[in-house]
Amino acid sequence: MIKFENVSKSFGSIVALSNVSFEIKEGEFVFLTGPSGAGKTTILKMILREYLPDSGKVYFDKEDITQIKEKDVPLLRQKIGIVFQDFKVLPERTVAENVEVALAVTGVEENEWEKRVDHVLKLVGLSKRANLFPSQLSGGELQRVSLARALVVNPKLILADEPTGNLDWDTAAGIMELLEKINKEGKTIIMATHHQGLIKHSKHRSVELKEGKV
Amino acid sequence: MSIHTKTAIEAIKRSPFQAVSAIFVLALTFFVATTVAILVYASNKSLSYFETRPQIIAFLKDDAKADGISALQNKLAIDIRIKDVKFVPKEEALAIYKKATEDNPQLAELVSPSIFPASLEFSVTDLKLAEKIIEEVRSEAIVDQVGFTANLGGEKSLGDVVTRLKTISYYLRLGGIVFVGVLAATSFLVLLVIISMRMTSRKGEIEILSLIGATPKFVSSPIVLEGIIYAILGVAIGWTTSFIMWLYVSPSLISYFGEIPILPKSPITYFLLFAIILGTETLVGFTLALVGSLVAVKRSLKKAK
Repeated sequence: MIKFENVSKSFGSIVALSNVSFEIKEGEFVFLTGPSGAGKTTILKMILREYLPDSGKVYFDKEDITQIKEKDVPLLRQKIGIVFQDFKVLPERTVAENVEVALAVTGVEENEWEKRVDHVLKLVGLSKRANLFPSQLSGGELQRVSLARALVVNPKLILADEPTGNLDWDTAAGIMELLEKINKEGKTIIMATHHQGLIKHSKHRSVELKEGKV
Repeated sequence: MSIHTKTAIEAIKRSPFQAVSAIFVLALTFFVATTVAILVYASNKSLSYFETRPQIIAFLKDDAKADGISALQNKLAIDIRIKDVKFVPKEEALAIYKKATEDNPQLAELVSPSIFPASLEFSVTDLKLAEKIIEEVRSEAIVDQVGFTANLGGEKSLGDVVTRLKTISYYLRLGGIVFVGVLAATSFLVLLVIISMRMTSRKGEIEILSLIGATPKFVSSPIVLEGIIYAILGVAIGWTTSFIMWLYVSPSLISYFGEIPILPKSPITYFLLFAIILGTETLVGFTLALVGSLVAVKRSLKKAK
Protein backbone atom coordinates (compact mmCIF):
# COMPACT_ATOMS: atom_id res chain seq x y z
CA MET A 1 0.00 0.00 0.00
CA ILE A 2 2.84 2.38 0.84
CA LYS A 3 6.19 2.20 -0.84
CA PHE A 4 9.17 4.50 -0.43
CA GLU A 5 11.76 4.13 -3.18
CA ASN A 6 15.17 5.74 -2.65
CA VAL A 7 13.64 8.80 -1.02
CA SER A 8 15.91 11.62 0.14
CA LYS A 9 14.99 14.89 1.73
CA SER A 10 17.09 17.70 3.16
CA PHE A 11 16.18 20.91 4.90
CA GLY A 12 19.09 23.17 4.09
CA SER A 13 22.21 21.40 5.40
CA ILE A 14 20.17 19.03 7.58
CA VAL A 15 19.55 15.63 6.01
CA ALA A 16 16.12 14.37 7.12
CA LEU A 17 15.98 11.26 4.93
CA SER A 18 18.76 9.66 2.96
CA ASN A 19 17.96 7.15 0.26
CA VAL A 20 15.13 5.57 2.25
CA SER A 21 13.30 2.55 0.84
CA PHE A 22 10.67 0.39 2.49
CA GLU A 23 7.24 -1.04 1.81
CA ILE A 24 4.11 -1.45 3.93
CA LYS A 25 1.42 -3.89 2.85
CA GLU A 26 -2.33 -3.37 3.13
CA GLY A 27 -3.66 -4.31 6.57
CA GLU A 28 -0.26 -4.09 8.26
CA PHE A 29 0.46 -2.30 11.55
CA VAL A 30 3.95 -0.81 11.35
CA PHE A 31 5.88 1.24 13.85
CA LEU A 32 8.22 3.97 12.62
CA THR A 33 10.76 4.19 15.37
CA GLY A 34 13.88 6.10 16.11
CA PRO A 35 15.07 9.03 18.21
CA SER A 36 13.80 12.58 17.74
CA GLY A 37 14.97 14.02 14.44
CA ALA A 38 15.44 10.60 12.88
CA GLY A 39 12.93 11.39 10.11
CA LYS A 40 9.74 9.69 11.36
CA THR A 41 7.52 12.75 11.00
CA THR A 42 9.11 13.60 7.64
CA ILE A 43 7.97 10.21 6.34
CA LEU A 44 4.40 10.76 7.57
CA LYS A 45 4.35 14.26 6.06
CA MET A 46 5.52 12.84 2.72
CA ILE A 47 2.65 10.34 2.74
CA LEU A 48 0.30 13.27 3.39
CA ARG A 49 2.04 15.23 0.62
CA GLU A 50 2.97 18.01 3.03
CA TYR A 51 6.56 17.54 1.89
CA LEU A 52 7.91 16.48 -1.48
CA PRO A 53 11.11 14.46 -1.58
CA ASP A 54 14.25 15.93 -3.15
CA SER A 55 14.63 12.61 -4.95
CA GLY A 56 12.95 9.22 -5.04
CA LYS A 57 9.36 8.12 -5.24
CA VAL A 58 6.53 7.63 -2.74
CA TYR A 59 3.71 5.30 -3.74
CA PHE A 60 0.25 5.13 -2.20
CA ASP A 61 -1.90 2.38 -3.66
CA LYS A 62 0.59 2.02 -6.52
CA GLU A 63 0.28 5.71 -7.43
CA ASP A 64 3.37 7.90 -7.22
CA ILE A 65 2.02 10.68 -4.99
CA THR A 66 5.02 12.91 -5.63
CA GLN A 67 3.58 13.41 -9.11
CA ILE A 68 -0.01 14.29 -8.21
CA LYS A 69 -1.20 17.82 -8.82
CA GLU A 70 -1.60 20.30 -5.95
CA LYS A 71 -5.38 20.42 -6.49
CA ASP A 72 -5.57 16.63 -5.99
CA VAL A 73 -3.75 16.65 -2.64
CA PRO A 74 -6.99 17.06 -0.62
CA LEU A 75 -8.38 13.92 -2.34
CA LEU A 76 -5.29 11.98 -1.27
CA ARG A 77 -5.60 13.22 2.33
CA GLN A 78 -9.29 12.28 2.42
CA LYS A 79 -8.21 8.63 2.02
CA ILE A 80 -5.96 8.88 5.06
CA GLY A 81 -6.92 9.20 8.72
CA ILE A 82 -4.42 11.07 10.82
CA VAL A 83 -3.84 11.17 14.57
CA PHE A 84 -1.49 13.78 16.01
CA GLN A 85 0.62 13.90 19.16
CA ASP A 86 -0.93 17.26 20.08
CA PHE A 87 -4.45 15.99 19.11
CA LYS A 88 -5.23 18.96 16.82
CA VAL A 89 -8.89 19.05 17.68
CA LEU A 90 -10.93 22.17 16.93
CA PRO A 91 -11.30 23.94 20.30
CA GLU A 92 -14.54 25.75 19.49
CA ARG A 93 -16.42 22.67 18.38
CA THR A 94 -17.89 19.88 20.46
CA VAL A 95 -16.62 16.31 20.29
CA ALA A 96 -19.40 15.33 17.87
CA GLU A 97 -18.80 18.44 15.72
CA ASN A 98 -15.07 17.70 15.55
CA VAL A 99 -15.90 14.31 14.10
CA GLU A 100 -18.59 15.75 11.80
CA VAL A 101 -16.04 18.13 10.28
CA ALA A 102 -14.16 15.16 8.80
CA LEU A 103 -17.41 13.93 7.22
CA ALA A 104 -18.16 17.40 5.84
CA VAL A 105 -14.64 17.63 4.39
CA THR A 106 -15.03 14.32 2.55
CA GLY A 107 -18.47 15.28 1.29
CA VAL A 108 -20.47 12.59 3.12
CA GLU A 109 -24.23 13.27 2.97
CA GLU A 110 -25.46 15.09 6.07
CA ASN A 111 -28.18 12.54 6.78
CA GLU A 112 -25.48 9.92 7.39
CA TRP A 113 -23.51 11.97 9.89
CA GLU A 114 -25.40 11.13 13.07
CA LYS A 115 -25.20 7.39 12.53
CA ARG A 116 -21.51 7.42 11.66
CA VAL A 117 -20.54 9.81 14.45
CA ASP A 118 -22.44 7.71 17.01
CA HIS A 119 -20.71 4.59 15.75
CA VAL A 120 -17.14 5.92 16.03
CA LEU A 121 -17.74 7.67 19.34
CA LYS A 122 -19.02 4.35 20.72
CA LEU A 123 -15.95 2.63 19.30
CA VAL A 124 -13.55 5.04 21.06
CA GLY A 125 -15.69 5.17 24.20
CA LEU A 126 -16.75 8.79 23.99
CA SER A 127 -20.52 8.43 23.46
CA LYS A 128 -21.26 10.23 26.71
CA ARG A 129 -18.84 13.05 25.89
CA ALA A 130 -20.35 13.88 22.46
CA ASN A 131 -21.58 17.31 23.44
CA LEU A 132 -18.59 18.39 25.49
CA PHE A 133 -15.98 20.86 24.27
CA PRO A 134 -12.27 19.90 24.06
CA SER A 135 -11.46 22.12 27.06
CA GLN A 136 -13.66 19.80 29.16
CA LEU A 137 -11.74 16.63 28.20
CA SER A 138 -8.61 14.89 29.44
CA GLY A 139 -5.54 14.21 27.24
CA GLY A 140 -6.58 10.62 26.63
CA GLU A 141 -10.09 11.67 25.68
CA LEU A 142 -8.73 14.30 23.29
CA GLN A 143 -6.63 11.66 21.60
CA ARG A 144 -9.75 9.50 21.27
CA VAL A 145 -11.53 12.43 19.59
CA SER A 146 -8.61 12.69 17.17
CA LEU A 147 -8.85 8.96 16.54
CA ALA A 148 -12.63 9.09 16.07
CA ARG A 149 -12.20 11.90 13.54
CA ALA A 150 -9.62 9.83 11.67
CA LEU A 151 -11.84 6.74 11.67
CA VAL A 152 -15.18 8.24 10.77
CA VAL A 153 -14.31 8.68 7.10
CA ASN A 154 -13.45 4.97 6.90
CA PRO A 155 -9.90 5.54 5.60
CA LYS A 156 -7.72 2.82 4.12
CA LEU A 157 -4.71 4.09 6.00
CA ILE A 158 -4.23 5.62 9.43
CA LEU A 159 -1.13 7.65 10.24
CA ALA A 160 -0.46 8.19 13.91
CA ASP A 161 2.29 10.62 14.81
CA GLU A 162 3.39 9.92 18.38
CA PRO A 163 -0.25 9.42 19.45
CA THR A 164 0.79 8.40 22.95
CA GLY A 165 3.51 11.03 23.33
CA ASN A 166 1.47 13.29 25.60
CA LEU A 167 -0.27 10.54 27.55
CA ASP A 168 0.47 8.56 30.71
CA TRP A 169 1.17 4.83 30.43
CA ASP A 170 -2.35 3.60 31.18
CA THR A 171 -3.97 6.04 28.78
CA ALA A 172 -1.35 5.23 26.13
CA ALA A 173 -2.11 1.53 26.56
CA GLY A 174 -5.81 2.29 26.05
CA ILE A 175 -5.07 4.13 22.80
CA MET A 176 -2.85 1.24 21.66
CA GLU A 177 -5.65 -1.20 22.36
CA LEU A 178 -7.94 0.88 20.19
CA LEU A 179 -5.40 1.03 17.36
CA GLU A 180 -4.96 -2.75 17.56
CA LYS A 181 -8.73 -3.20 17.37
CA ILE A 182 -8.92 -0.90 14.34
CA ASN A 183 -6.05 -2.75 12.66
CA LYS A 184 -7.86 -6.05 13.18
CA GLU A 185 -10.78 -4.57 11.27
CA GLY A 186 -8.44 -4.33 8.27
CA LYS A 187 -7.05 -0.82 8.42
CA THR A 188 -3.40 -0.21 7.64
CA ILE A 189 -1.71 1.69 10.47
CA ILE A 190 1.62 3.48 10.45
CA MET A 191 2.53 4.74 13.87
CA ALA A 192 5.54 6.93 14.53
CA THR A 193 6.77 6.54 18.10
CA HIS A 194 9.87 6.46 20.24
CA HIS A 195 7.93 4.79 23.07
CA GLN A 196 10.08 1.65 23.48
CA GLY A 197 7.67 0.13 25.99
CA LEU A 198 4.83 0.11 23.49
CA ILE A 199 7.01 -1.39 20.77
CA LYS A 200 8.31 -4.13 23.05
CA HIS A 201 4.79 -5.08 24.09
CA SER A 202 3.66 -5.32 20.48
CA LYS A 203 4.36 -8.03 17.93
CA HIS A 204 4.17 -5.66 14.95
CA ARG A 205 6.95 -4.84 12.53
CA SER A 206 9.11 -1.77 13.12
CA VAL A 207 10.86 0.37 10.56
CA GLU A 208 13.70 1.87 12.49
CA LEU A 209 15.16 5.17 11.44
CA LYS A 210 18.48 6.65 12.49
CA GLU A 211 19.84 9.91 11.11
CA GLY A 212 17.52 9.72 8.14
CA LYS A 213 18.35 6.14 7.18
CA VAL A 214 16.38 2.90 7.60
CA MET B 1 -28.22 24.81 8.38
CA SER B 2 -25.04 23.87 6.50
CA ILE B 3 -21.75 23.51 8.33
CA HIS B 4 -20.40 26.56 6.45
CA THR B 5 -23.35 28.79 7.41
CA LYS B 6 -23.02 27.60 11.01
CA THR B 7 -19.29 28.35 11.03
CA ALA B 8 -19.88 31.81 9.50
CA ILE B 9 -22.57 32.70 12.05
CA GLU B 10 -20.39 31.44 14.92
CA ALA B 11 -17.50 33.57 13.66
CA ILE B 12 -19.76 36.65 13.56
CA LYS B 13 -20.97 35.93 17.11
CA ARG B 14 -17.41 35.47 18.35
CA SER B 15 -16.28 38.91 17.07
CA PRO B 16 -19.38 41.10 17.15
CA PHE B 17 -17.47 44.40 16.98
CA GLN B 18 -15.70 43.42 13.76
CA ALA B 19 -19.04 42.37 12.33
CA VAL B 20 -20.76 45.60 13.41
CA SER B 21 -17.98 47.75 11.87
CA ALA B 22 -18.17 45.90 8.56
CA ILE B 23 -21.97 46.10 8.46
CA PHE B 24 -21.92 49.78 9.49
CA VAL B 25 -19.46 50.82 6.76
CA LEU B 26 -21.38 48.83 4.14
CA ALA B 27 -24.70 50.25 5.34
CA LEU B 28 -23.31 53.79 5.09
CA THR B 29 -22.06 53.08 1.56
CA PHE B 30 -25.41 51.76 0.41
CA PHE B 31 -27.35 54.52 2.20
CA VAL B 32 -25.32 57.13 0.30
CA ALA B 33 -25.55 55.10 -2.92
CA THR B 34 -29.36 54.93 -2.69
CA THR B 35 -29.59 58.63 -1.88
CA VAL B 36 -27.25 59.60 -4.72
CA ALA B 37 -29.10 57.30 -7.13
CA ILE B 38 -32.37 59.07 -6.34
CA LEU B 39 -30.75 62.52 -6.63
CA VAL B 40 -29.31 61.58 -10.01
CA TYR B 41 -32.72 60.26 -11.07
CA ALA B 42 -34.38 63.51 -9.93
CA SER B 43 -31.81 65.69 -11.71
CA ASN B 44 -32.20 63.66 -14.91
CA LYS B 45 -35.96 63.94 -14.71
CA SER B 46 -35.91 67.70 -14.14
CA LEU B 47 -33.37 68.18 -16.91
CA SER B 48 -35.48 66.10 -19.22
CA TYR B 49 -38.55 68.08 -18.15
CA PHE B 50 -36.94 71.38 -19.02
CA GLU B 51 -35.39 70.02 -22.18
CA THR B 52 -38.62 68.62 -23.49
CA ARG B 53 -41.19 70.96 -22.04
CA PRO B 54 -39.88 74.51 -22.32
CA GLN B 55 -42.93 76.73 -22.73
CA ILE B 56 -42.63 79.57 -25.17
CA ILE B 57 -45.21 82.36 -25.26
CA ALA B 58 -45.68 84.43 -28.35
CA PHE B 59 -47.53 87.61 -27.26
CA LEU B 60 -49.71 88.84 -30.07
CA LYS B 61 -50.15 92.40 -31.18
CA ASP B 62 -53.37 94.14 -30.12
CA ASP B 63 -54.50 94.43 -33.72
CA ALA B 64 -53.98 90.79 -34.57
CA LYS B 65 -57.00 89.38 -36.40
CA ALA B 66 -58.62 86.02 -35.70
CA ASP B 67 -57.75 84.56 -39.11
CA GLY B 68 -54.10 85.67 -38.74
CA ILE B 69 -53.96 84.09 -35.28
CA SER B 70 -55.53 80.91 -36.60
CA ALA B 71 -53.05 80.76 -39.50
CA LEU B 72 -50.08 81.15 -37.18
CA GLN B 73 -51.51 78.57 -34.76
CA ASN B 74 -51.88 76.08 -37.62
CA LYS B 75 -48.41 76.82 -38.89
CA LEU B 76 -46.95 76.15 -35.45
CA ALA B 77 -49.05 73.02 -34.96
CA ILE B 78 -47.66 71.34 -38.09
CA ASP B 79 -44.06 72.20 -37.24
CA ILE B 80 -42.44 68.94 -36.03
CA ARG B 81 -40.14 70.87 -33.69
CA ILE B 82 -43.16 72.25 -31.85
CA LYS B 83 -45.83 70.62 -29.72
CA ASP B 84 -48.84 71.51 -27.53
CA VAL B 85 -49.78 74.76 -29.26
CA LYS B 86 -52.46 76.63 -27.38
CA PHE B 87 -54.18 79.97 -27.97
CA VAL B 88 -54.73 82.07 -24.81
CA PRO B 89 -57.16 84.98 -25.37
CA LYS B 90 -56.99 88.19 -23.34
CA GLU B 91 -59.81 87.05 -20.96
CA GLU B 92 -58.02 83.81 -20.14
CA ALA B 93 -54.77 85.69 -19.58
CA LEU B 94 -56.61 87.90 -17.07
CA ALA B 95 -58.09 84.81 -15.40
CA ILE B 96 -54.60 83.32 -15.07
CA TYR B 97 -53.39 86.60 -13.59
CA LYS B 98 -56.31 86.69 -11.15
CA LYS B 99 -55.62 83.16 -10.06
CA ALA B 100 -51.97 83.98 -9.52
CA THR B 101 -52.88 87.03 -7.44
CA GLU B 102 -55.86 85.61 -5.57
CA ASP B 103 -54.12 86.32 -2.27
CA ASN B 104 -54.44 90.03 -3.10
CA PRO B 105 -57.74 90.66 -5.02
CA GLN B 106 -57.09 94.41 -5.18
CA LEU B 107 -54.28 93.79 -7.65
CA ALA B 108 -56.72 92.06 -10.00
CA GLU B 109 -59.30 94.81 -9.69
CA LEU B 110 -56.75 97.41 -10.79
CA VAL B 111 -56.22 95.83 -14.19
CA SER B 112 -58.49 95.35 -17.21
CA PRO B 113 -58.36 92.53 -19.78
CA SER B 114 -57.07 94.98 -22.38
CA ILE B 115 -53.62 95.21 -20.80
CA PHE B 116 -53.06 91.46 -21.16
CA PRO B 117 -52.20 90.54 -24.73
CA ALA B 118 -53.56 87.38 -26.29
CA SER B 119 -50.85 84.80 -26.82
CA LEU B 120 -49.93 81.52 -28.45
CA GLU B 121 -48.21 79.15 -26.02
CA PHE B 122 -46.25 76.12 -27.14
CA SER B 123 -43.41 73.77 -26.27
CA VAL B 124 -40.45 72.60 -28.29
CA THR B 125 -39.41 68.97 -28.63
CA ASP B 126 -35.76 69.82 -27.96
CA LEU B 127 -34.55 72.79 -25.98
CA LYS B 128 -31.64 73.28 -28.37
CA LEU B 129 -34.14 74.27 -31.06
CA ALA B 130 -35.90 76.84 -28.89
CA GLU B 131 -33.72 79.85 -29.65
CA LYS B 132 -34.10 79.40 -33.41
CA ILE B 133 -37.86 78.90 -33.12
CA ILE B 134 -38.18 82.01 -30.94
CA GLU B 135 -36.37 84.02 -33.59
CA GLU B 136 -38.64 82.66 -36.32
CA VAL B 137 -41.83 83.34 -34.34
CA ARG B 138 -40.62 86.80 -33.38
CA SER B 139 -40.41 87.67 -37.09
CA GLU B 140 -44.11 86.93 -37.61
CA ALA B 141 -46.14 90.08 -38.37
CA ILE B 142 -48.80 89.55 -35.68
CA VAL B 143 -46.27 88.71 -32.94
CA ASP B 144 -45.27 91.50 -30.60
CA GLN B 145 -42.85 89.76 -28.20
CA VAL B 146 -41.72 86.24 -27.43
CA GLY B 147 -40.99 85.01 -23.93
CA PHE B 148 -39.54 81.83 -22.46
CA THR B 149 -41.12 80.80 -19.19
CA ALA B 150 -38.56 78.32 -17.81
CA ASN B 151 -36.38 80.44 -15.64
CA LEU B 152 -34.02 79.30 -12.94
CA GLY B 153 -31.95 81.53 -10.69
CA GLY B 154 -32.63 84.64 -12.76
CA GLU B 155 -31.03 83.42 -16.00
CA LYS B 156 -31.89 85.69 -18.86
CA SER B 157 -31.33 83.45 -21.82
CA LEU B 158 -32.45 80.02 -22.77
CA GLY B 159 -28.83 78.86 -23.01
CA ASP B 160 -28.26 79.85 -19.38
CA VAL B 161 -31.15 77.67 -18.21
CA VAL B 162 -29.91 74.61 -20.06
CA THR B 163 -26.30 75.18 -19.07
CA ARG B 164 -27.23 75.59 -15.41
CA LEU B 165 -29.34 72.44 -15.36
CA LYS B 166 -26.68 70.46 -17.15
CA THR B 167 -24.00 71.73 -14.76
CA ILE B 168 -26.11 70.79 -11.73
CA SER B 169 -26.76 67.36 -13.20
CA TYR B 170 -23.09 66.85 -14.13
CA TYR B 171 -21.72 67.79 -10.71
CA LEU B 172 -24.39 65.74 -8.97
CA ARG B 173 -23.41 62.68 -10.98
CA LEU B 174 -19.68 63.29 -10.67
CA GLY B 175 -19.85 64.09 -6.95
CA GLY B 176 -22.12 61.12 -6.35
CA ILE B 177 -19.90 58.71 -8.26
CA VAL B 178 -16.74 59.94 -6.49
CA PHE B 179 -18.38 59.84 -3.03
CA VAL B 180 -19.94 56.41 -3.55
CA GLY B 181 -16.67 55.20 -5.11
CA VAL B 182 -14.65 56.31 -2.07
CA LEU B 183 -17.16 54.67 0.28
CA ALA B 184 -17.20 51.47 -1.79
CA ALA B 185 -13.39 51.35 -1.73
CA THR B 186 -13.48 51.87 2.06
CA SER B 187 -16.02 49.07 2.43
CA PHE B 188 -13.84 46.81 0.29
CA LEU B 189 -10.77 47.55 2.43
CA VAL B 190 -12.71 47.06 5.67
CA LEU B 191 -13.93 43.69 4.38
CA LEU B 192 -10.37 42.76 3.39
CA VAL B 193 -9.02 43.70 6.83
CA ILE B 194 -11.77 41.91 8.74
CA ILE B 195 -11.57 38.77 6.64
CA SER B 196 -7.77 38.72 6.86
CA MET B 197 -8.10 39.00 10.65
CA ARG B 198 -10.60 36.16 10.58
CA MET B 199 -8.18 34.04 8.56
CA THR B 200 -5.38 34.79 11.05
CA SER B 201 -7.57 33.86 14.01
CA ARG B 202 -8.57 30.62 12.24
CA LYS B 203 -5.01 29.73 11.23
CA GLY B 204 -4.88 26.66 13.49
CA GLU B 205 -8.28 25.44 12.33
CA ILE B 206 -7.35 25.94 8.67
CA GLU B 207 -4.15 23.92 9.17
CA ILE B 208 -6.11 21.05 10.72
CA LEU B 209 -8.77 21.15 8.01
CA SER B 210 -6.12 21.13 5.32
CA LEU B 211 -4.42 18.09 6.90
CA ILE B 212 -7.64 16.10 7.02
CA GLY B 213 -8.24 16.78 3.34
CA ALA B 214 -10.27 19.97 3.13
CA THR B 215 -10.15 21.64 -0.25
CA PRO B 216 -9.35 25.39 -0.44
CA LYS B 217 -13.04 25.86 -1.34
CA PHE B 218 -14.15 24.11 1.84
CA VAL B 219 -11.78 26.23 3.92
CA SER B 220 -12.81 29.52 2.32
CA SER B 221 -16.58 28.89 2.06
CA PRO B 222 -17.53 30.04 5.61
CA ILE B 223 -15.30 33.09 5.28
CA VAL B 224 -16.75 34.09 1.92
CA LEU B 225 -20.22 33.45 3.32
CA GLU B 226 -19.44 35.74 6.25
CA GLY B 227 -18.48 38.52 3.81
CA ILE B 228 -21.71 37.98 1.89
CA ILE B 229 -23.75 38.13 5.13
CA TYR B 230 -22.09 41.50 5.93
CA ALA B 231 -22.83 42.81 2.44
CA ILE B 232 -26.48 41.69 2.46
CA LEU B 233 -27.06 43.20 5.90
CA GLY B 234 -25.24 46.37 4.81
CA VAL B 235 -27.40 46.70 1.69
CA ALA B 236 -30.59 45.98 3.66
CA ILE B 237 -29.85 48.54 6.38
CA GLY B 238 -28.46 51.24 4.05
CA TRP B 239 -31.23 50.91 1.47
CA THR B 240 -34.03 50.70 4.06
CA THR B 241 -32.79 53.80 5.89
CA SER B 242 -32.58 55.78 2.67
CA PHE B 243 -35.95 54.45 1.49
CA ILE B 244 -37.65 55.52 4.74
CA MET B 245 -36.00 58.94 4.45
CA TRP B 246 -37.22 59.40 0.86
CA LEU B 247 -40.70 58.15 1.78
CA TYR B 248 -40.78 60.83 4.46
CA VAL B 249 -39.59 63.73 2.29
CA SER B 250 -41.20 62.73 -1.02
CA PRO B 251 -44.67 64.29 -0.45
CA SER B 252 -43.08 67.66 0.41
CA LEU B 253 -40.65 67.48 -2.53
CA ILE B 254 -43.32 66.44 -5.03
CA SER B 255 -45.56 69.24 -3.82
CA TYR B 256 -42.70 71.80 -3.85
CA PHE B 257 -41.57 70.97 -7.38
CA GLY B 258 -45.17 70.78 -8.64
CA GLU B 259 -45.21 69.98 -12.32
CA ILE B 260 -41.52 69.05 -12.47
CA PRO B 261 -41.52 65.26 -12.06
CA ILE B 262 -38.40 64.91 -9.90
CA LEU B 263 -39.86 61.76 -8.30
CA PRO B 264 -42.43 59.34 -9.67
CA LYS B 265 -45.94 60.30 -8.58
CA SER B 266 -47.38 56.84 -9.16
CA PRO B 267 -46.73 54.54 -6.17
CA ILE B 268 -45.99 51.60 -8.47
CA THR B 269 -43.29 53.50 -10.38
CA TYR B 270 -41.96 54.88 -7.10
CA PHE B 271 -41.57 51.43 -5.54
CA LEU B 272 -40.26 50.01 -8.81
CA LEU B 273 -37.52 52.67 -8.85
CA PHE B 274 -36.43 51.71 -5.34
CA ALA B 275 -36.71 48.00 -6.14
CA ILE B 276 -34.35 48.47 -9.10
CA ILE B 277 -31.89 50.30 -6.83
CA LEU B 278 -32.18 47.50 -4.23
CA GLY B 279 -31.56 44.84 -6.87
CA THR B 280 -28.53 46.68 -8.24
CA GLU B 281 -27.12 47.29 -4.76
CA THR B 282 -27.60 43.65 -3.76
CA LEU B 283 -25.67 42.60 -6.86
CA VAL B 284 -22.91 45.15 -6.19
CA GLY B 285 -22.77 44.21 -2.49
CA PHE B 286 -22.58 40.53 -3.34
CA THR B 287 -19.78 41.14 -5.84
CA LEU B 288 -17.93 43.40 -3.40
CA ALA B 289 -18.12 40.78 -0.64
CA LEU B 290 -17.25 37.89 -2.95
CA VAL B 291 -14.23 39.61 -4.50
CA GLY B 292 -13.11 41.11 -1.14
CA SER B 293 -13.29 37.82 0.73
CA LEU B 294 -11.74 35.78 -2.07
CA VAL B 295 -8.82 38.22 -2.32
CA ALA B 296 -8.33 38.10 1.48
CA VAL B 297 -8.61 34.30 1.60
CA LYS B 298 -6.23 33.83 -1.33
CA ARG B 299 -3.67 36.17 0.23
CA SER B 300 -3.90 34.45 3.61
CA LEU B 301 -3.67 30.93 2.17
CA LYS B 302 -0.69 32.00 0.06
CA LYS B 303 1.02 33.41 3.16
CA ALA B 304 0.25 30.22 5.11
CA LYS B 305 2.01 28.13 2.44
